[in-house]
Amino acid sequence: MTYSAKLRTGLTRRGALGALAATSALAAVPFRASAQETTLRWWSPQAAPQQVEAYEFQIAAFEAANPGVRVVFETTSDEGYAPQLAAAFSSGEVPDIVTHLPSFAIQSYYANGLVEPFNDVIEAIGADDFYPGANDVFKAADGNYVGTGIGNSAANMMWLRTDLMAEAGVDKAPETWDELRAACQAMQKNGIYGAPLPYGRNSMTSLIFIGVIHQAGGQVFDTDLNVALDTQATRDALEFYTSMRELCPPGATNYSWGEAITAFVSGATATGIYTGRVLGNVAAQNPGIADSITCATYPRLSTDIAPWTFNDFPSVFIPAQSQNKDAAKAFAAHLFQPEGYIKQLHAAPGHVLPVLQSINNNPQYQENEIIQKYPDEVELMAASAAGGFNLGYESTAHPSNEKAGEVVGSGAIADMVQRVVLNGENADTVIGETSAAIEAIMKG
Amino acid sequence: MAHTKQTLLERRYSLLGLLLIAPTVLVFCAVIVYPLISAIYLSLFSIYTPTLDGEWVGLQNYATLLAKGEFWYSLRTNLIWTVGTLSLQIVFGIGMALVLHQNIWFRSLARSLILFPYFISTVVAVLVWKWLFNDLYGILNHLMMGAGLIEFPIDYLGSMPNAMVSVILVGAWKYFPFVVIAVLARLQTIPGQLYEAARIDGAGPIARFFDVTLPQLREVLVVIVMLRAIWDFKEFDLIFLLTGGGPVTSTQTLPLLVYKEAFSLNQMGMATAYAVIMMLIMLVFMVLYIRRTRTEDGL
Repeated sequence: MTYSAKLRTGLTRRGALGALAATSALAAVPFRASAQETTLRWWSPQAAPQQVEAYEFQIAAFEAANPGVRVVFETTSDEGYAPQLAAAFSSGEVPDIVTHLPSFAIQSYYANGLVEPFNDVIEAIGADDFYPGANDVFKAADGNYVGTGIGNSAANMMWLRTDLMAEAGVDKAPETWDELRAACQAMQKNGIYGAPLPYGRNSMTSLIFIGVIHQAGGQVFDTDLNVALDTQATRDALEFYTSMRELCPPGATNYSWGEAITAFVSGATATGIYTGRVLGNVAAQNPGIADSITCATYPRLSTDIAPWTFNDFPSVFIPAQSQNKDAAKAFAAHLFQPEGYIKQLHAAPGHVLPVLQSINNNPQYQENEIIQKYPDEVELMAASAAGGFNLGYESTAHPSNEKAGEVVGSGAIADMVQRVVLNGENADTVIGETSAAIEAIMKG
Repeated sequence: MAHTKQTLLERRYSLLGLLLIAPTVLVFCAVIVYPLISAIYLSLFSIYTPTLDGEWVGLQNYATLLAKGEFWYSLRTNLIWTVGTLSLQIVFGIGMALVLHQNIWFRSLARSLILFPYFISTVVAVLVWKWLFNDLYGILNHLMMGAGLIEFPIDYLGSMPNAMVSVILVGAWKYFPFVVIAVLARLQTIPGQLYEAARIDGAGPIARFFDVTLPQLREVLVVIVMLRAIWDFKEFDLIFLLTGGGPVTSTQTLPLLVYKEAFSLNQMGMATAYAVIMMLIMLVFMVLYIRRTRTEDGL
């Protein structure tokens, strides 16, 4: 026996609601006959005022070129998109286009038939213009692309205050955990903390700690997607994270993305962990430290281990239930038109990095004040993001993990961090239970 | 015995009665009966939330959740939260109502302002409290450190027992005005002669409160406790926004667990099973409570 939202009569719930809606619509015909407008709903969690301004420019250009099509921008959030989309999918009231969600979220939806293949949009944008391999993360098991990147991000860059480093006698950016601890200890004084690592029960803690496991030489899944947490690398990662607790503000136990960036930008911490949004925020909110910031890849257990950058591969995709797929695909391709795309990237310089080579080489893109002020940092972030990974794509040897979104959403990894670091529970026991919880999700 | 057949007029009146009550019954079925049956039905399936497709699993969801430590821990947390915040709401509410019942300056203004926390949006209230609690910029830590009471900022929301205490306090602050309104309304109807008689009998302020005021408030307090217990037991937004259920699962109540199953793990069947169990727990408490109050009434 299966459940598919159908009533016993064979009439689906959606059908019944549809009939009700149709009846209502019929009643309104005389008033709506002249309105032949198509409305596209666009969802994104990236909605800082400057970004929304850039979106409005792109929307206006698209509407001018496509009379009768209206685009409405709606905000979702990094922590809230999963429930909002789940509700949208189950009710059938889906947005027509969604941007800036991590790639692993789309793979889960595509595996359940909820996302439209994106191959033709990538062709329309120009497949050759993408950086080599940029779309690999969006390739599904059936060979289709589930979406594409609207940008790259290097989400776990280590941000540094060069003035505080000089004061503390730290002569170079830390490359290993030992060096990071020593630097933070030296810089933690006068009310300034060493680092704003997240210890909250949220997705940031999970996503950052996945990076820390890799920075210890470990992984969450092996290349056959079996859970591979029960390793020395995970224990080392937990030990490092525990040792950093005393170098973070007391409230880091509840930190997510907003608190972490604010801590560094406001000057409350000597180091930071975030994307390039730090650059714009420092310029706008704390210009006094603008000449004293730089970034590096996050330190690892030893220099024998390669840096591991968390790139959530901010995406564009189209829900399969959209009633306006053709218009949505046209709009998706339009988002990459140079003028609008550059405006969008400039709205948060260094935060979302271009995925098209032609854009990166475009003088108009390079002319931005912040990009010109921090060329080395932007270059480093671009290179790190291009070689970045996330839980849905842990390495080039890993297949796409369709359950990654649910693993992150379950909070199992954040819970593991909190249990060991905050509660002081036995790491072996907690790792075993976390592995079992993730295995259950993979089977479920 | 005068058993007679219904007259035509009586039958028409009966029909009219049925017609008049029909809209209410229909609305009741649509908003209460259908969702209830639907929830119980959904709880017998394993359902992937975004597609609502799933397989029949019978009572497996119930067996699984009852065997899970997380359910029992969340139930315990739920009870701690409910009892803690409700007790404070009652104490603060009665206290404030007694103050506002006195002939004080700006009484009307104070009565209006006291409602402010209750009417403010939960999201706004939580944002304000999160800033007050903030370790780096929060006024609470700032004042306490300035006064030399603490050396380092207190982590109000990220460690135990601080997180539970903070959530309970914010809950009490947000909802105690409801108690104030109800108690104040009742206080104004207590006959002055009762206090006068108590004074003549030599009762002081404390004796008058316990022997006159409190017994007179009993009925309204029964209603308040019943309603607020139901509302607090199913409270979601305030706790979710303040702590997200953390640290670890220390403030994770059953509604947060339902949300996690439904939208983080996409297990709608399991989530509805939790919701049905929550309803049954509330039902048990309601029945016990009503029986107890009836017994007391009978004494």
